[in-house]
Amino acid sequence: MSDTDTLTRRRPPANPVERFAKSPLAGRIAFPLVCLLVWLVALEVVQSIWPFAVDVLPKPTQVLSFMWGEIKGETLAPYNMYETFGISLKRLGIGMAIAMVIGTVIGLGMGLSKSVNAFFNDWVVAILAMPNLAWALFCSLAFGFGDIGPIVTVVLTGVPFVIINVREGVRNAPLDLYDMGRAFGVSRGHIIRHVLIPSLMPFMFAAGRYAFALGWKGLVVAEVFGGEDGAGWTIKFWYDAHRAHGVIGYAMFFVIFALLFEKFMFDRLSRYFFRWRPEVNAADVVEERFDAPPPAVVTAGAVSHANTAAMESLNQVTAGPKSEREHGDDPRRHHDG
Amino acid sequence: MATAVAPPPTTDPPRQSEDDRVRAARRKERIQVVVWRLAGYAFFLGLWEFASGRLMSERLLPGPSDVFATFGELWASGKVPGAFADTLTRIGIGFAIAFVVGTAIGILMQNRWLNGFFRDAVTVGVTTPGLIWALITAIIFGNRPWGPLIAIVLTTFALISVNVAEGIKALPKDLIDMAKSFGVGVVRRNREIVIPHLAPYIFTGVRFGFSIAWKVTVLTEVFSSSSGIGFEMRTASQLFRLPEFLTWILAFYVFALFLEKVVLEVIERRFFAWRGTINS
Amino acid sequence: MAEIKVRNLHKEFGVGEDKVVALEDVNLEIGGHVFVSIVGASGCGKSTLLNILSGIETPTNGQVTITQDDKPANAGYVFQAARLLPWRTVMDNLLFVQKDRSEATRARCQRYLEMVQLGDKGKKYPGELSGGMQQRVGIARAFSTEPDVLFMDEPFSHLDAITARSLRAELQSMWQETKKTVVFVTHDVGEAVELSNRILVFAKGGRMADDIDMPLPFPRDVSDPDVAVAKANVFKTFENIGALAVS
Repeated sequence: MSDTDTLTRRRPPANPVERFAKSPLAGRIAFPLVCLLVWLVALEVVQSIWPFAVDVLPKPTQVLSFMWGEIKGETLAPYNMYETFGISLKRLGIGMAIAMVIGTVIGLGMGLSKSVNAFFNDWVVAILAMPNLAWALFCSLAFGFGDIGPIVTVVLTGVPFVIINVREGVRNAPLDLYDMGRAFGVSRGHIIRHVLIPSLMPFMFAAGRYAFALGWKGLVVAEVFGGEDGAGWTIKFWYDAHRAHGVIGYAMFFVIFALLFEKFMFDRLSRYFFRWRPEVNAADVVEERFDAPPPAVVTAGAVSHANTAAMESLNQVTAGPKSEREHGDDPRRHHDG
Repeated sequence: MATAVAPPPTTDPPRQSEDDRVRAARRKERIQVVVWRLAGYAFFLGLWEFASGRLMSERLLPGPSDVFATFGELWASGKVPGAFADTLTRIGIGFAIAFVVGTAIGILMQNRWLNGFFRDAVTVGVTTPGLIWALITAIIFGNRPWGPLIAIVLTTFALISVNVAEGIKALPKDLIDMAKSFGVGVVRRNREIVIPHLAPYIFTGVRFGFSIAWKVTVLTEVFSSSSGIGFEMRTASQLFRLPEFLTWILAFYVFALFLEKVVLEVIERRFFAWRGTINS
Repeated sequence: MAEIKVRNLHKEFGVGEDKVVALEDVNLEIGGHVFVSIVGASGCGKSTLLNILSGIETPTNGQVTITQDDKPANAGYVFQAARLLPWRTVMDNLLFVQKDRSEATRARCQRYLEMVQLGDKGKKYPGELSGGMQQRVGIARAFSTEPDVLFMDEPFSHLDAITARSLRAELQSMWQETKKTVVFVTHDVGEAVELSNRILVFAKGGRMADDIDMPLPFPRDVSDPDVAVAKANVFKTFENIGALAVS
């Protein structure tokens, strides 16, 4: 589990304990410990300066016991954690599906035709830059309580990203492979099935990933303002009840939930869909940028090093999502945080 | 499959008219693009106006004309500049701090141990919705000004760190070594190699970060402020004054779009013209 | 074996000031069990000629006919970059260009994979193979359709010298065995001299400058003095047409 030290040469530390203490893994463990320390110190400091603020700043033990209670299924809120996340996930799923369908259709159109692109482009940019707060507030006012408001918010937040990714996919069609197919006289149907659709897959996958991550954030905001259940509404519930430990505890559940889904679901899917890729399998995930390349990739790189040009088609398709950074309307910078 | 290819043998067409034909075709394409673009505006604005009167009650969805009129009223009443100023100040301070923190972390993450240390912080920073930070700081700090600022910093710093770290990781060692071998000093190396290399990454971080920062600022104002755009939005929606609500968000949003697209992109184009179509 | 006829072939790109003449008034005939190389420096139009012969591009003027017994001929292609579908296995890549997916076809494809010593790699993905292996798959793919004529566009230029050498030998023996018409584009004069019995020299601007016969016996050894002499003669041709002038 320790990272491979491929670049620098250091004198290896004397004993195993020291070696561990200097490893990045130790740093990773140190972080939550430091946070905990800061938290406790802050509690002390705040208590001495503003005694009355004690109620609002929760102790770590309070948060943990709250979280533990929730995990066991006991809660003071109307629904427990599992029901809550279940409801939210259901809405997210429906919204994502709708966003993918609408987005793919429009994205294909925009990629294939300059006129269609001119028609929709400014509006895609406009919707992209709109904060999900605005959608959430509007939907809550328009649709009241219930499922529709959050679902519409998810759709509105996700559609522009799907459109942009699918459009990129069309623009990055591997022309050399089309030419090859045509030269060999391969039928149109076969070319669509074996060249077009697989070449779009990385982009559709990125689209799905964005739709999920951003849809989730939009969903939560929508539920805060216009729900009567769901993850967003529940965190607002604790906020209204002035229970800081509830808010923080639920916030931690959010983070864990998002991370679990990102890492496990998308990683798994990515490994299955893209098992033909020669490099690291998962699509763009932030934390992976900081990993040292695993040994398998390093040796693969060495083998193909002398013959890189022969892998033109491979690289073009593998590059997939990265290519969206080239275009002016970079989707990632519009995400709301 | 190779087929028999046989275009009719002709003499070369006179060069003039071929050039003209190509130019005419290009012009036609440009006009087509403009026409479709305008058609898009007409379509969507028309749809909005239509939906306002017919599909949904005017009270729930004011049309573009209503919103425009309301904006006029608000501007006349003097509320607009004040609210804009408040919000912009918050964004400015919050983003500045986020930038410093984010850049520092990005630089520190070049060290392997510190990389491990900050790694989860960055991950959490990127995946946590700004709403969460807004709620947490609101509950802890109430109406005090540093609550929203902390929320802005927490939401924005991570993306800046990622960009800075990526830029530093990608430093062209071969160019730097080459400069060293020619005896070029540290200061000149930094000026000629390191900074021009890092500039696009930092700029991308600024663009990303600003985009996030303004949205989070408005969000925090909804919860824990008594001034600013977000506050006005909350008031308007609580009083069910839809035209006002829409006016506030649209006005600020147009302004932010202006800042993002016009100002930042123009700067980017002028400073980074040499990049061509290479991505950052 | 195919018959290739090219008459008054002319190809231009661009308009007005940007106009580039890629091929200028090319006339040639190729037929039978022959290995023809087209050599020239970069920008002399040899790749364009191949693209036109393979139907990927159309000529501005002129006529190209490729027939087999007076019917349109089947052609196979090997590209500079392997152009394999990265998301399909090696065997699927070969099947992609076949007319059907029957057992007989599969068996035929397997045979050609074995001919390039990749018989056991049928289930691998291109990403798992080295550049040289990918190129061999490309060659197997082109041969597996059992075409009448084979077009090859600098297929070994991206490979290291050792791999290229062994692939040339493989190509040689496959050509001898299957008796096709091969049109082979390269910038490497040595390669052309080693493999072909006819060399077409192209100059900058798309002119066919020379048509050289190579009657030396196969297989040819690089250390054979006759081969060296032939190579020197080809180079002399280049000098004569000023193609070696540094621009």
